[in-house]
Parts: sequence; C-alpha cells; structure tokens
Amino acid sequence: MNETPHPEIAVDGFPPRRSGWAQIVTSADHKDVAKILMVGAGGFLFIAALELLLMRLQLAIPENTFMEPYTFNRVLSLYGGTAIFFFALPLVLGLFLYIAPLQVGARGTVLPRLSQLGGALWVGGAVVLYAGFLWTPSEAGVNPLPPLSELAFLSNNGVDAWLTACGLATLGFVLIAIDLSATLRVARAPGMAWRRAPLFAWSAAVSSWLMLVIGPILLAAFTMLMIDRNYGGTFFADGAGGSPLLWQHLTWIFYSGTYMLVLIFAFGAIAEIFSVFSGNPIFDRRAMMASIAAVAVLGTLAYLQNMYTAPIGLGWKFFGMLMALSLIVPIGLIFFNLIATLKDGALQMRAPVLFAIGALSVISIGLAAEMQQSLVGAAWYLKNTTDSTAATHFALIGGAVFGGFAALHFWFPKITGRTMGEQLGRISFWTLAVGTLVAFVPMALAGWEEDQVVDAYKFFNHTGVNFYNLIASIGVLILFVGVILVLANAVASVKGGARAGHDPWGGDTLEWFALSPPPPHNFDVQPDVRSDRPLRDIRAAIARRAHEVEERAARESQPVA
Amino acid sequence: MTPHSPGTGQINTLIWIGFFAALIVVVAINLGLFGAVRRFRGGRGRSASAAPAHPGIQFRVAGVLAGFAIVLFVLAIIFTSNALSTPSTTSAGLASLKGEPLVIKATGQQWLWRYNYPNGAFTYWKLVIPVDTEIEMKLESTDVVHTWSVPDLAPKVDAVPGKDTQVIFRADAEGEFFGQAATLSGQAYAPMRTTVEVVSPERYEEFIVEQQKGIKKGQEAAEEIESEKLKTEEEAEGGETAAEANEAEEE
Repeated sequence: MNETPHPEIAVDGFPPRRSGWAQIVTSADHKDVAKILMVGAGGFLFIAALELLLMRLQLAIPENTFMEPYTFNRVLSLYGGTAIFFFALPLVLGLFLYIAPLQVGARGTVLPRLSQLGGALWVGGAVVLYAGFLWTPSEAGVNPLPPLSELAFLSNNGVDAWLTACGLATLGFVLIAIDLSATLRVARAPGMAWRRAPLFAWSAAVSSWLMLVIGPILLAAFTMLMIDRNYGGTFFADGAGGSPLLWQHLTWIFYSGTYMLVLIFAFGAIAEIFSVFSGNPIFDRRAMMASIAAVAVLGTLAYLQNMYTAPIGLGWKFFGMLMALSLIVPIGLIFFNLIATLKDGALQMRAPVLFAIGALSVISIGLAAEMQQSLVGAAWYLKNTTDSTAATHFALIGGAVFGGFAALHFWFPKITGRTMGEQLGRISFWTLAVGTLVAFVPMALAGWEEDQVVDAYKFFNHTGVNFYNLIASIGVLILFVGVILVLANAVASVKGGARAGHDPWGGDTLEWFALSPPPPHNFDVQPDVRSDRPLRDIRAAIARRAHEVEERAARESQPVA
Repeated sequence: MTPHSPGTGQINTLIWIGFFAALIVVVAINLGLFGAVRRFRGGRGRSASAAPAHPGIQFRVAGVLAGFAIVLFVLAIIFTSNALSTPSTTSAGLASLKGEPLVIKATGQQWLWRYNYPNGAFTYWKLVIPVDTEIEMKLESTDVVHTWSVPDLAPKVDAVPGKDTQVIFRADAEGEFFGQAATLSGQAYAPMRTTVEVVSPERYEEFIVEQQKGIKKGQEAAEEIESEKLKTEEEAEGGETAAEANEAEEE
C-alpha cells in the first residue's frame, strides 16, 4: 500500500462469470444475493400495490359487493405479508447487503454462504405465500392474532402457509443480518473506524443488530402458533396455561422493530444523498449515529403502544407512551441534522434528491400522526380506526417507497452501470407524492371524524365516510400508477439508461471507488482510509500527483543552465 | 366523534392536544426542509463549502425536543387519568342503585354483542342504559379477540378470551350512539356493530321489565314447542334436546 490508490482499476483476467441467471442463482456474492432480494422486492411492490388497489376498489363505494368478505380478508392478509416481508424488508436489507460492504471497502462479505442461504429461504417464502394463493390464503389479517388464527376459527391451511412463508423470509433476513453485521464488524478497510464509516453503513449495522433481536422473537411466535395449530399446543389458548396476549407481545416487538428498521434505512440513505448532492459533509455525524442507534432501541421498546386497548396494566401503557414520546429526541435530531446538512451547500435537484425530500416530508407527517396515536387516552379513540392505518402508511411509504426509491435512483448506476431516466423519475415522484396525499389524508379524516374501522370489508352508507373513501380509492389508484412508473423506469434503464461511470454523482464514499457494476471482488486494492470522505482524499491525492508529475516534467524540460 | 360522557370529553381534548403537537412538528420540519432546499439550491452561483460543526447546538436542539416530549407526556397522563375517573351517578340517574354503578356484562362473539343486565334481562346488538348513571361494563369474549368501541361514550376496550376487562363510563345525554367492533374477527367483522340507546331512568326500568316479560314468553313458547315435539316424536330418550342445551348454555 505504498502507492496511492487509483480509482481506474483494470479488471482483466478474472474467471468468467456464468451467464445471466445461472450466475445470479448460484452465486454467493453479496451483490448477487442482494439483486435477487431487490428485484423480488420490486415485483412484490407491484403485487402489494395491486392488492391495496383491489381492497380500495371494494371500499370505493358503501356496502359494495365487489368482493366476498372472505376474499377481502384473504387479500388483506396477503397484502400485509407481502408489503412487510416481501417488499419493505427485502428492499431495505437488499440495498444494505449490496451497498454497505462496498461502502466500508470490504472485498466481499465474510459469511457469503449464509447470505446465499438467506436469499434462497426468502425466495422459498415468496413461493409458499403465493402458492398458498392458489388454494386457500390466510384470512387472519395483517397480524394474525390468535385465537382468530387458531385452528378452531380458521381451519384450512391458509394460516399455516402464511406463517411458513413469512417465517422462511424472516429466517432468511436473520441469516443475512448475521452476515452483514459480521462483515461490517471485521471486514472494514484499514483506517475505516466507525467514526469514519458512511452513515448508511452505520444504519446497516444497527439494522442488522436489530434484526438479530427481533427476527428470532417473531420466529418463536410463529413456531408456537404452528405447534398450536398442528400439534395440539396451547401457547395462545386461554384456560390451558396459554394466553392470546403472548402473541401480541411477541409480534408487536417485531413489527415495531421493523418499522424502526425501515425508518433507519431511509434516514441513512437520505444522509448519503443530501451529503453528496449538496457537497457538504453530514452536519454532525456523531449525533446522527447516536440518534440512529437510539431510534432502534427506543422504537422497539415502544411496541406496547400497540396494546393500549389490551388487558395489560395502565403502568405498562404509560411506559409504552414514554418510550414512544422519547423517540421525539433522536428522530428530531436526525431531521435537524439532515436539514442542517443542506446549509451553505449547492443542492443539485436530481431525482434521488427529489425522492429524499419527499421521503422526509411524508415520514414527518406519518411520525407526527403516530405521535398523536401514542398518547394513551387519544389512542383509546384513534386506535384501529383508519386514522391509524393512514399514520402507519405515511411513515412506511415515506420510509420504504420514497426512501427506497431515493436509494434506488441514487445507487442504480452503481448496481447496473446506468442511470435511471431523470425525466420519468420526476414524473413518477410527483405521481407518487400526489397519490400518497390523496389516498391517506381522507383515510385519516374518515378514521378521526367518523370512527371508520380498519380491516373491514365494507362500510355503511349513512356513516358519513362515502366521500372520504371514494377520494382515498382514487388516491391509491394514482399511487399505483406512480409505482408502475418507477418500476418501468428501473426496468427500462437496466438496458437503456445513460451509461454511468464509476462515480456519476461525485460521491465521497468508497462504493463510488469500485467499478459500476462492481467486479465480484469489489476492489483490487483495499484503500487506506484517513477521513470520513475517503474518495475525496483519493481524488486530492491523484490531483496532487498529477500536479507533481507536471511540475517534474516542466522542470526536466527546462534547459540546464 | 361528539363526546357524550365525561371520559370521552377528556379523550377528545387529548386528541386535539395531540393534533396541535403533530401540526407543530409537521410545519416545523417541512418549513425547515423546504426553506433549506429553496435557499441552498445549486446553480445560483453558490459553491459548496463545508459547514463547520457546532457540537453545542445538538444539546440545545435535544433540550428543546426533550422539553416538548415531556410536556406532551405529562399532558397525556393528566388527560388519560381524567378520562378514567368517571364521576358517579347523579341525582338525575337511576336512583335504585343507591350510588353503586350499574353492572352490565357485554359478551363478544362471532359476530355480535350480547348484553346481560342485572335481573336476568339480556339483549343482542343493542344496549339500553339509563342517562347520568355510572355504568360498569364487564367485557368477555367467548371466541376470538373483539374490541368494543362506542366512541361517543367510552374508551375502546378489547374483549380477550380468558381475560376479564372492564370499562366504566357515564352517558350525559339521551339518544342513540353507534359503535363498531374494531379488531378483525373473521368474515362478518364489518357488520359487527352495536347501538347504545341512552334513555331516562324510568324508561330504562320499563325496558327491563318488558324485556324480562318478553324473554319469559319466548322461553314458554319454546318449551311448548319442545313438549309438543316430544309428544309427536317418540324418540325422546332422556338426553338433552338441542333446545334444552341452548337454554342451559344461555343460563
């Protein structure tokens, strides 16, 4: 490492990659596994949006008979499983798995076969979920609460298929989280201390630690319910030593943790995007890092805010509220630092920036609404109304869809070697933004003003929510069009996008040091890291060397006196 | 919602407090965000320069945020506790209770609510209660988790099998109030609604008597049919018939 590293790397003489599919399916390379997750997540986003649209079609007019009640419950259960386990989490973990090792200068992950197995399990889960669709899907809802999800009340195998599918996916996520946390622990480039690591890599580390905690808890709950259903267990049966409440504790820990994981992902990606496109370093890295870790811990402990109407002690409800409200400090600091990063910069309004700004704005609406929901007394009215649906969707669409698309537009050149269409990117952004507002603001109002409940397959004519529901359905249609536009843009750009070099945006972190797309081993040489903007140091070093060479040449060409 | 009980009045106030807090948050973040984007956009001759970090400012911002959170927390505890402390029966309420709350048992089942009043009367779907009277409603479920929710009168409460839950409230005005079960409980979850009719104490007493008479009449009629059945069909083997089994269950 005596020589100064050079960003233009020669990549001759590598073993030839297998062609197309064969390479991706058989490879344990973290980039190939991540590609499976991300492409799959894109497909399932389309399916989840379609399912949401179907449900909104049913709820467009009062007392609609478009869907049978059980059909609605099936679509609802599929939508919940798809959106969480097959869109949001794989997209987030896929991007982490692809980008974070590159960002810390790793030449691969340290446990690649584990990630490969994780990806395969996730694919298996996806197949089980939609193979279940062919016979009898679950009718137990987004979170299949026992006793409804017990054999006595839903006796076909739909719930078993749902649990198997989401369980396999979760097991996959846990394996990937092990690989990712180990990689980020031991494989960082020389000099890449945590205080110099990119914030997105820090988000990836915090998220994988979080997944290591919450994933096994969900797997335990799923296993118990499977035992209850298939082997006469009584974990969630009342009166036989079990309790239905146990399920709520275990699963809400996971769902709250997942919520935080999506937010942490979005904040990490937006930090990178703001930093690159404004030309500024992060306003205060240490505050951001501490806040991101605090969000993971406090947000998961705040799971009790989902149980305000359940028979638990009032003290526990106040504890849940305390944890939820204490999130105001780290999340507020994150917003403050992200906005302050723009200060005195020269922000270029490219598509990733547009999506990042939209993500922050939509997340702010969602989290503010969640703050209102977290007040115990207020939740005794607002909980399980469509107001809570709207709050959750604002925060998670802000995090996973807007944040996810910001990250996708930003790192697409690294992954494919081509940039996504800028014009279509703008159009799709505005479509999504309008769709989100038109869909979920009326839904919130219907919940707050008229107590429209969640998960119901129909609403009644004289309840004063006809207008709200019609508008919300139109909004979801716009949202659906926006999703299609983004996905179409991505598909078209894989082959037809403008060619991007290794560093199209002028980034300062190490993933832009690798080629686009990166070779299997990521880097020929692991660069020495001396600051939190290693690529900028490398560029400066190159400029300095070029200057020296010029000077030397000039000196040598001068006639000797 | 239009609150018609002391408790829901407190809840409504807390919702509005939460709303204004949320509004402050949304406006502050978006003003800051869009202001910064407008001001620091490139292409206007500005060049990127590194902003110096101020470690002190983080603590100041965190302090403001913590203050905001603490105020919200304290307000929420005050209003939540107020919502729970329902004043007892007034002079306009049901006098025969002598200050005790009127205990009503609500049973959730797929997909209706059954209300058991003291003195053996019961109703399905519709609850009739006297105005200005403290109601202590005991909730239970015979099958899956149901959430009882009549937003104008009382907080939402889950009825969980095997757990005894209760909600105490007092209706301030006569009238009909609508409610809707709020946890997915299966196919007929959406029509699992309920109505609470708040009436004068006199009307309530009348209603209970009518109801008891009606139930008695119905039971007699059922017994008659049953005995006729026994006569015509000769297969009475001493075992419980379906109708008897039903009655036993209802007791």
